[in-house]
Amino acid sequence: MDITIIWTIVVITLLGVTLAAVLFLVARKFRVEEDPRIDEIEKLMPGANCGGCGFAGCRAFADSCVKAGNLDNNFCPVGGNETMKQVAAVLGCAAVEQAPKVAVIRCNGSCANRPKVNEYDGLATCRVKAALYSGDTGCAYGCLGCGDCVAACENDALKMNPETGLPELDEEKCGACGKCVKACPKGVIELRNKGPRGMRVYTSCVNKDKGPAVKKACAAACIGCGICAKTCTHGAIVLENNVAYIDYTKCKLCRECEALCPTGAIHGVNFPKPLDKDAIKARIKARNEKAKEVQE
Amino acid sequence: MMKTFKIGGVHPNDNKISRNCAIEVLPLPQTVFISMAQHLGAPAKPIVAVGDQVKAGQVIAEPGGFISAYVHSSVSGTVKSVAPRKDLSGNLMTHVEIAVEGDEWAEGIDLSDTLVTEIPTDKAETLKKIQMCGVVGLGGATFPAHVKLNPAPGCKAECLILNGAECEPFLTSDNRIMIEKSKEIVIGAAIMKMVLGGCPAVIGIEENKPEAISAMSKAVAELGYEGISVMKLKKKYPQGGEKQLINAVMKREVKSGGLPISVGAVVQNVATSLAVYEAVQKNKPLVTNTMTITGDCLPVEKQHNYLFRIGMPLSYIAEYAGGIPEGAAKIVSGGPMMGKAISNLDACTVKGSSSLLYLSEAFTKRKEASACIRCGKCADACPMGLEPFLLNKLAKNAMMDELEARSIQDCISCGCCQFTCPANIPLLDTINIAKGQVMGIMRARAAAAKAAAEAAKAAPQK
Repeated sequence: MDITIIWTIVVITLLGVTLAAVLFLVARKFRVEEDPRIDEIEKLMPGANCGGCGFAGCRAFADSCVKAGNLDNNFCPVGGNETMKQVAAVLGCAAVEQAPKVAVIRCNGSCANRPKVNEYDGLATCRVKAALYSGDTGCAYGCLGCGDCVAACENDALKMNPETGLPELDEEKCGACGKCVKACPKGVIELRNKGPRGMRVYTSCVNKDKGPAVKKACAAACIGCGICAKTCTHGAIVLENNVAYIDYTKCKLCRECEALCPTGAIHGVNFPKPLDKDAIKARIKARNEKAKEVQE
Repeated sequence: MMKTFKIGGVHPNDNKISRNCAIEVLPLPQTVFISMAQHLGAPAKPIVAVGDQVKAGQVIAEPGGFISAYVHSSVSGTVKSVAPRKDLSGNLMTHVEIAVEGDEWAEGIDLSDTLVTEIPTDKAETLKKIQMCGVVGLGGATFPAHVKLNPAPGCKAECLILNGAECEPFLTSDNRIMIEKSKEIVIGAAIMKMVLGGCPAVIGIEENKPEAISAMSKAVAELGYEGISVMKLKKKYPQGGEKQLINAVMKREVKSGGLPISVGAVVQNVATSLAVYEAVQKNKPLVTNTMTITGDCLPVEKQHNYLFRIGMPLSYIAEYAGGIPEGAAKIVSGGPMMGKAISNLDACTVKGSSSLLYLSEAFTKRKEASACIRCGKCADACPMGLEPFLLNKLAKNAMMDELEARSIQDCISCGCCQFTCPANIPLLDTINIAKGQVMGIMRARAAAAKAAAEAAKAAPQK
């Protein structure tokens, strides 16, 4: 009886030792050499695996950074410049700075501005709704209000406002990963530069219809009048397909377009002072008169 | 025993309330808006300019591609504009606006009722006539008829099936034309038969249209063309689906991704047959069609079958028919199973318009969906033998490879799954979207394979 137990222990131990030796040798022989920097960089990443960088996840991004040896084409929008600086330190190369971005919802079509013309009773996702028809308001371009962007956001930055029927963004939480941009079937959301201290000006409308039709559909839409484009001294505004688009790389945040927009489609956000329309209009007038004098 | 298709199908209440309403001719409105996308395929290209005088039956747009069709003016008058306008679902499409002045038809069009029973013998010329008259399939898909009637070399038509199933509930326009224009339809069938090389023709009609069956049988017997017969089919939705009808009539199955011609079948709707008759024998382009004004909340005396001209605003037709009834929660163009809800009543009729259907809230309101209990009713009902509950799940998780392996691309969007689901799950909504995505992937892959093959071909020549 005792002998059996002893033999069992001996055999099992020997077996264990042999197999351990085999495993050790195999592990040595077939070892995959991996750059330790990949692990290091992965630790620096936010770890959301959101795919905002264009890779499958944070590790894939780290792998790509190490393989490339530089950061020319790699940028983690969620981590931002700070994280990228740390990554650059690990790699020993220069960090490429990018202006921080933020998702911008370009639609003014709240329930008050854009009355409903029919009732939608289908599956409540924007994708299905967009495939079926132009939507339950007179505007065929704007937000459909079913919240596909909210469902897509992994940072919990988007919330549907039941009063306006539009999504609202919590800027603090937005990592600019671009998931909402992809989820929106109407292309309403855009990633724009966050701007100095969060200040930015944008057209909150994407309706490509002509003025009268747009006006009928929504009270706060861009009607494509072009006043903003004519006034802008920085050449930042382009009028295309009856929508004024403000190029955020050129915009100097003077807010002249915002003051002049007849429908209030242009929004300026996070400015410390409220918009003083009269002062801006007076400024433009003075400038125009001066220009006239010079011409004469 | 009556024939029907083998797998799946459902039995919605057929509600053919307007079955006895004779076809009435709608008077002309002041303005018509003729859409450039009245057919499957590329939109047509307008060839008229603002200020042009046009006559009814005159070509106003040319095909925009191989699969496309001519569009004709349905009225005489002056072209007021060629501009984008919202269609049924609110999306923009180019329309030609014509202010109606009198009712003058282009030369060479025979508007009399005399039957022309002599069948032409020149295939190419007949096909050309069908194409020039802008005839498209009027069963719902509006596929250009001349393309379908001209099978690719190597394919031989063994049977022409005329679709008189009209399996959608409520709709009765096909029923009425089969009763009132039976001879014209039979002659149209004889013409298509000749074009296809003399194969037999079968007119499939569901049992719930006994008057149509007897009228068509009588017309076939009186006209005495060889090889045309009427087949009574058991009532089951979606019998009017091309693949289902082939299965019911010929007992053949079109394989996944195949065309009907691969099993020797060509299917055309009875209304298309009428359009072919008018095009070939009377020189009349496809500018009129029949539509049903019906619905569960519309009193019987207000129900109609109208002969309309393309481009008439729906609002005009609705008003002429007595306005929108009280209690109508939804207006549908087409049948209740596959039709499209109309979000814009200013939209205009197109070649394939088949109805203005007023549905009450009780009839149309969606019930709240509960969880899937995997009862399998949807799989039983699917006429294509798919598993909608599984497709729904896979679609929600965006599992494209699995969806393709489970043949989502074979879905015909008939809605049997959703109709039969005891948990009221909107299966078709999700499946339709996923089907579009999978087919997009398949097309992209095919295009890539084609490009690669061409590159491989070109490489050795260098």
